[in-house]
Amino acid sequence: MTIRLDQVPLGHAFRITRVHWDILSNEEGRRLREFGLDEGVTVTPAHRGSIFSRDPLALTIGRMQVIIRAGQAAAIEVVPAT
Amino acid sequence: MNSAPIVALTGNPNAGKSSLFNALTGARQKIANYPGVTVERKAGMAALADGRMVKLIDLPGTYSLDPSSPDEQVTRDVILGRQAGEARPDALVVVVDAANLENHLCFALELIDLGLPTIVALNMLDLAERDGLMLDPAKLSADLGVPVVSTVAVRKRGLDDLLEAVDAATRAAQTPSAQPDLVAPQLHSSDANVRRRARDIAKAAIISETPVRRWTQRFDAIFLHPVAGLTILLGLMFLMFQAVYAWSEAPIGWIEDGFAAAQTWVAGNMPAGFLQDLIIEGALGGVGSVIVFLPQILILFLFILLLESTGYMTRAAFLMDGLMSKVGLSGRGFIPLLSSFACAVPGIMATRAIPDPKDRLTTILIAPLMTCSARLPVYTLIIGAFIPARPVGGTIIGLQGFVLFCLYIAGIVGALLVALVLRRTLAKGNNTGFMMEMPRYQWPRMADVLLALWQRAWLFLRRAGTIIFATTVALWLLLSYPKAPEGADVSQVEYSVAGRIASGIEVVVAPIGFNHDIALALIPAMAAREVAVSAMATANAIEVGDDEEALAQSLGERLQSKWSLATALAFLAWFIFAPQCVSTIAITRRETNGWKWPMFMVGYLFALAYIAAGITYWTAISFGLG
Repeated sequence: MTIRLDQVPLGHAFRITRVHWDILSNEEGRRLREFGLDEGVTVTPAHRGSIFSRDPLALTIGRMQVIIRAGQAAAIEVVPAT
Repeated sequence: MNSAPIVALTGNPNAGKSSLFNALTGARQKIANYPGVTVERKAGMAALADGRMVKLIDLPGTYSLDPSSPDEQVTRDVILGRQAGEARPDALVVVVDAANLENHLCFALELIDLGLPTIVALNMLDLAERDGLMLDPAKLSADLGVPVVSTVAVRKRGLDDLLEAVDAATRAAQTPSAQPDLVAPQLHSSDANVRRRARDIAKAAIISETPVRRWTQRFDAIFLHPVAGLTILLGLMFLMFQAVYAWSEAPIGWIEDGFAAAQTWVAGNMPAGFLQDLIIEGALGGVGSVIVFLPQILILFLFILLLESTGYMTRAAFLMDGLMSKVGLSGRGFIPLLSSFACAVPGIMATRAIPDPKDRLTTILIAPLMTCSARLPVYTLIIGAFIPARPVGGTIIGLQGFVLFCLYIAGIVGALLVALVLRRTLAKGNNTGFMMEMPRYQWPRMADVLLALWQRAWLFLRRAGTIIFATTVALWLLLSYPKAPEGADVSQVEYSVAGRIASGIEVVVAPIGFNHDIALALIPAMAAREVAVSAMATANAIEVGDDEEALAQSLGERLQSKWSLATALAFLAWFIFAPQCVSTIAITRRETNGWKWPMFMVGYLFALAYIAAGITYWTAISFGLG
């Protein structure tokens, strides 16, 4: 069962199964890859926005933490990492 | 032969590149701009062990050589030798964050592939070790095929080793056959194969690691908490603005005393006449009334620099992004807009970090609406003169402070509304959003902070010494000539050239309640808002002449006796919006590469200023405050 990265609970690790590159702009896609967000990689959503909104989303990838918007996370399909 | 070899420092953002550059070059830096683009060029000299000098260039932090943002374009052009006015570097130093090897090696591989003599600086090794990561630099060097030097820039560790490696690399570069032909990068850091190689090399170099960045996680649990984090951010901003006022009181007093002493000295040691008047009334009076803001600007910048260098600023941007996305901006705009409370010029310069061009343009256009420190002299003068110092209806909040607070809020609300409109009309476009790396928390290195603070102070003083000096002197001349005939029934100010120009302007601004004083102050205030105060002071000094009773009055008291409350309030409302700052217009022209946007900015802000002042004036009149 796949879920979108913008809908998963915080604090749990997920493996990226598919990235819908077509709904991201070239710039967004490239930036995601530069951050190391690609198919097969494990990420952990760590923080989400403030009281104003659910945006943005902070993700832990390896030893790094990156910030993306929920709109971009919606293009990423994940499964719980085992 | 033989100019100093050129070595370019490159690397990902947050690799600690600037600290390394500062540590290598000390204060021997030259900051300028690349021609035609808005990217800062930082160059400095470093001495090798044998006394030979190398020229270091600090390139902007980027993830790749793909030319998608101005920063990346410059990095690419400089390295490939295509940047006008910059010779191709003889060697590269690629700075990588030891704790983030896997990701930073992607760009390093792309750069090594270019074939220039390259050295990898494995930076911030101490922070990596603090987080439980042990690395093997020798193994990394063997796998990458280039020298790897461990450095801790902020503690000045590893610098000699790095310079030694630079020495060897530049010697190798002297032989002509070693100069490869650079056409275009063959590898791309976002390419899957490159990423895999980076991952493998990084893995092989790790001796041992514990899973996470403990300290950063603990801090983030508090600072990024949806409620607590926001409360802390608001608390920090409150503390910052309090400090701007509270800490600056004493130094402002010293500066005022200093200028007063200088004026007294000139009065006592120079023959009376044209030159003495020019120096006392024009130069010292005008420039002095602006330099008094230096302490406030420095305090504000100290806070901003500390928040940036500790890594907190990215957290602030994270917290504010949700709110800012509602008006079509991104959290990245938070830092430039916050800086604009000190001065819109560095604020607009800081928008370079916003990758989306429409988002960036909107942020530039609204930056002048943040209440910059140059408005403070105007606000404090008028509030002090016209708003009674009593509490607001039964509370402990002072009315004067409340009015000042309202003026700040009016600017912020105005900015958000303008952003909303612009993002739906002129700067329409999809929001590519907010993608950035969250740096680790770090103890700031005071030498770096002080150096940056000094660079800001110098920028401000140079402005005071040039633009503001020139305009106050010019205004003084225009106010003093031609001399009104003896015994005529007209004041010197009315009779002067400036007075006559002001009478023309008065026709335009009379419907919004502005009088001759204001019309006169508005022209020189185009140079800088605070000049409005020095202009009124200069005009007042000339007008008063030797009238002892009038001399005893402060400028505020004089205005109080001449202006209605409605006029004073309209004047305050005007300055929330009016784009009266040559430096801001000039920097907008430079940052947007043309006159179109600065002209638009000036136009829309003047229109808003006129409307706001008019509404304020006529509302006040209808309440009987005329």
